[in-house]
Amino acid sequence: MVRRAFFVDGIECFNTLSLPSPVRFCVLCGSSPSSGYPAGVPGRVTSRRAVLAGMAALGAAAVLWPYTPKSRRRVPRGGRGRVELTYWEKWTGLEGLALQRLVDRFNASQERVWVHLIPVGDIDAKAMVAIGGGDPPDLVGLYTYNVPGYAEARAVMPLDEFVSRGGLQREGREGERRLEAGTESERGVGGGGSGGRGEGDGVADAEYAPGVRELLWHEGRQWAGVNTCYTLGLYYNRAMLREVGADAPTTVAELDAIADELTTQDAQGRITRAGFLQNLPGWWPYLWPAMFGGALFDAGRNAATVDSPACVEAFEWIAATARRRHGVAATRAFAAAFGRSMHSAQDPFISGRLAMIVQGPWLANFIAALNPALEFGVVPLPVSGALRASGRVDDANPVGLLEADVLMIPRGCPHPEEAYEFLRFHQQQREQEQLALDHFKPSPFAAPSPEFLARHGHPGIRVHNAIVGSRNAMVLPRTRVWKQYSDLTTAAFDAVWGGADVKQTLAGLNERAQQLIDSAEERRRQRQSGRRGESNEMKTSRWHGGLA
Amino acid sequence: MASSMDKPATGRAKHSRLARPVLYVLLAFVGGLYALPLVWMASTSIKPEREALSDSVGLLPELPPAPTAAGAGDEISYAARLAEQVAANYTAVIDAPNADFQLYIRNSLIVAALSVAGMTISSAVIAYGFSRIRWKGRDTLFLGVLATMMIPFTVIMAPQFLLFKHLGWIGSWMPLWVPCWFGGGFSIFLLRQFYMGIPRELDEAARLDGCGHLGTFWHVILPLARPALVVVALLQFIATWNDFTGPLVFINHPSQYTAGLGLQMYQTAHGGTPWNLIMAASVIVIAPVMVVFLLAQRSLIEGVATQGLKD
Amino acid sequence: MRESRRNLLAGLLWVSPWLVGVAAFLLAPLAITAYVSFTDYSLLEEPVWVGAANYREMAGDPVFWKAVRNTGLYALSFLVLGTVVSVLIAVLLEQPLRGRGLVRAIVFLPTLIPVVSASIGWMWLFNAQHGLLNAVLGRVGLPTPDWLGNPTFAMPSLILMSLWVVGSYVVICTAALRDVPAALYEAADLDGMGALARFRHVTLPMISPAILFNAVMSIIWGLQVFAVPLIMTKGGPNNATVVFSMYVYSNAFAYGRMGYASALAWVQLLATLALTGVALMIARRFVHYRGA
Repeated sequence: MVRRAFFVDGIECFNTLSLPSPVRFCVLCGSSPSSGYPAGVPGRVTSRRAVLAGMAALGAAAVLWPYTPKSRRRVPRGGRGRVELTYWEKWTGLEGLALQRLVDRFNASQERVWVHLIPVGDIDAKAMVAIGGGDPPDLVGLYTYNVPGYAEARAVMPLDEFVSRGGLQREGREGERRLEAGTESERGVGGGGSGGRGEGDGVADAEYAPGVRELLWHEGRQWAGVNTCYTLGLYYNRAMLREVGADAPTTVAELDAIADELTTQDAQGRITRAGFLQNLPGWWPYLWPAMFGGALFDAGRNAATVDSPACVEAFEWIAATARRRHGVAATRAFAAAFGRSMHSAQDPFISGRLAMIVQGPWLANFIAALNPALEFGVVPLPVSGALRASGRVDDANPVGLLEADVLMIPRGCPHPEEAYEFLRFHQQQREQEQLALDHFKPSPFAAPSPEFLARHGHPGIRVHNAIVGSRNAMVLPRTRVWKQYSDLTTAAFDAVWGGADVKQTLAGLNERAQQLIDSAEERRRQRQSGRRGESNEMKTSRWHGGLA
Repeated sequence: MASSMDKPATGRAKHSRLARPVLYVLLAFVGGLYALPLVWMASTSIKPEREALSDSVGLLPELPPAPTAAGAGDEISYAARLAEQVAANYTAVIDAPNADFQLYIRNSLIVAALSVAGMTISSAVIAYGFSRIRWKGRDTLFLGVLATMMIPFTVIMAPQFLLFKHLGWIGSWMPLWVPCWFGGGFSIFLLRQFYMGIPRELDEAARLDGCGHLGTFWHVILPLARPALVVVALLQFIATWNDFTGPLVFINHPSQYTAGLGLQMYQTAHGGTPWNLIMAASVIVIAPVMVVFLLAQRSLIEGVATQGLKD
Repeated sequence: MRESRRNLLAGLLWVSPWLVGVAAFLLAPLAITAYVSFTDYSLLEEPVWVGAANYREMAGDPVFWKAVRNTGLYALSFLVLGTVVSVLIAVLLEQPLRGRGLVRAIVFLPTLIPVVSASIGWMWLFNAQHGLLNAVLGRVGLPTPDWLGNPTFAMPSLILMSLWVVGSYVVICTAALRDVPAALYEAADLDGMGALARFRHVTLPMISPAILFNAVMSIIWGLQVFAVPLIMTKGGPNNATVVFSMYVYSNAFAYGRMGYASALAWVQLLATLALTGVALMIARRFVHYRGA
């Protein structure tokens, strides 16, 4: 019979059976019968087991001890008993805090609902997986490029569905009023109701700027509320421009001239100060065609147009900046040096190492916090000579990118009605403009309120607001393959920067993007022919219940 | 750390005197190189941010003393300042508004406990079936066990997601630990190897005493297999703790994140996170595994070694 | 006869959890993948049958070919370098040197570290401005490239990082080295073989089964590496580090193309099986088994 005894002195091993040859040893104490080594210091084995057991006990205690997650700690005693919603949002830091204040105002304004704002990373992937998996949050803050895809898939709830259900009584009356007034046009409802600006129903009352409305609507219905919008402008360092005696550029040629004069390189060819580089910050590689009158997508024909002459011109300009004027290696190294420093004290523009940069309005906020002494100005994006000569672009209708964050209610969420209540509060002009003030962003409404413009801390906010209202504002392609198209465009941008032939790269990109668009369209037609009209809702898991 | 693992392979003792210093240098070099990333991670985690972002290659941060008020008492010693900096960094991580590491670690512990329990119990049972009972087709089927170890998770992660979606498990931890209750290739292999070293006479003795398979399993095999079961448990704990892809695919709600997933989300947070805090968070996530390793290092190493032994 | 039938039933009963698990969590998903690969499925809507369109699309997808190239490069490099490095380290650790137990533990430790922490630690080491690697290189006057941001250096950096995690291969080689009968070494010494010759003619053949095992594991690992590139470079720069598994993941969970992702996954599985088979066939020539 094999010894099973265990002697606490540690002289004998736990047992002499061990893992098969060639290693024969005691698993816990490490001694080996044949090695001749003693079993270690007496008592050592016990202490090791004791520690392991202690750790297990510690682990069990950690698990069993009741722990309230941070996000839940904010609910005050009186808040229990309300319907609790989860709201996933991408923002952290100052922007997150500003939104938290809005959520706090909502929570304080009524007794029925409590909203938990939860910061989530990688939110569009997580949202899709959560909604697809049947376990979505009540509210999710996404990007405008998600709207077409989610709308077509019926993965989020169209806002007019709440109106038609009757919602809360007040909403019902307003909904009826709208229907009566016959404002159910092709472009959908969403304007004109006079239910008291600043209180009540933000969704019904909202008069968005036309560009913003385009972002929230898809195929005639509103699918999302706006959650601050932003536009991109050209920020320039006044002191540096004064150095070369230039005014803010309005054409691409002027921009290039100023940039060339201001770029300095050291003896090894490394850039010490740059005038203007399209790869800093490199977050919008698809922006540049707008400056030449080009577009990436033609919604009417459902076609990718990145190989159009204007786009080619834009990318040729990019290639020229990288290769001919400053050098690929130097520009790449310079940009890479700021990899993680954007919006910090080492930000290239804030620290004065980049004279001009295309950025969003939040930059002013960071400048005020990190380097208030910096003299800067902001103008709309310069355009090519041809575009300016055509007369389409003027001061009232500048060129720029208009983008927004959106707030949507996923289908299959636990509390859609209460989520819509929050959305109505959130869309009120007063609330949205307060949020925009805190985020240093422009107002998404067609007529920003005078107090908004007066109180805004951004000296150049009128420029950004002008782009919001401009008919030349570029919006991202309204196609459900945009995410992939955008990734491909980023790759193309990198390739062009590195020396690839522009026409070839863009032709390849266009072909691939067109393939994606066409196959997505094909699938859509196949699905619609299998559908029995509007009533075919997304199948959600039984456990999470569909809609009532 | 003298142990059986130090038994030298004979035939190599005859080295010229010249080679030994070279070998020592090589040994130190390899050891240093492999230890460097973790050491550097720990060192960065205790530095203040501006120093972490500088060119310094020192292991310990230089912490210039804060100017004390004129006429104030003694200068604070370096050790005290260091302790203060360490505390500051680590509490900044724990109190971070966009990450709740206490919760994540708790979640990891729960998932790990369920997985370890499941894997140990089920593998012990399954390995018994593969080793102590002689039945037709047993060895062929065991090859199947080995084959399943070859299938990459990325091949099945998407359809597993669909499967769990239809079962309604998305939104809980069940996709992570329930599969462990059905055994895992490596654990079954390890335990089977171990069982095969237990003499059959014991089985027969138990049979004479009137035990069926269950009795034999419970009274003979299980007590003797305790060391191997410990190894299985430890390895499964580490595997679950380190698992990243599974939680990435199956866990969506931040309140359910496990430690590794939480760390990744913290690192990629919108707006960037300072490197010294990321390193501190990293150290926090490594710590339990490190402790387990220090205590049970030999078992783990030997457990892995059996993988390569020819069957 | 009855006893063998009883044993069969008992055996199956005891291994039934494994059978159920494999059927539910492995075979069923594989079957689902096979079906979904012939559909277009976005998770948010029902699948739509498209036949072999996904497979045809692969052939014309430049990112697909890039992923294939990247993964192949990674797997091959890791196979060769990893095997060489692990054998060398194992041999080094078998020398009678003091402190080798400590070094063995240090070499093995990285395999236990969560992949997220390991990747983050190496990201920090490779950081172009503040990383230790560039700080040291800069001080010595060597060029300091952007390891993870430069397309030429990104993949080699990942491969370098992977060589840090060869601990389990080292352990397996060590066990095999221990297994070599001393008699063979003595015979070699008697024949007057030098250390190098002894290594080539005695050690290597004797541990070849372990090397084969390591090689097969390296191939399987290399072809399905996922977390390291995802965390360290997210597939950039310019898709230089998009590995196959990452492309599968992006398609399934980011682009909403489960059908295409399933097709990719099947291709990955078949490639893994094929390459493993090839490795085993090649090995038959080189691996020397000492008999059961």
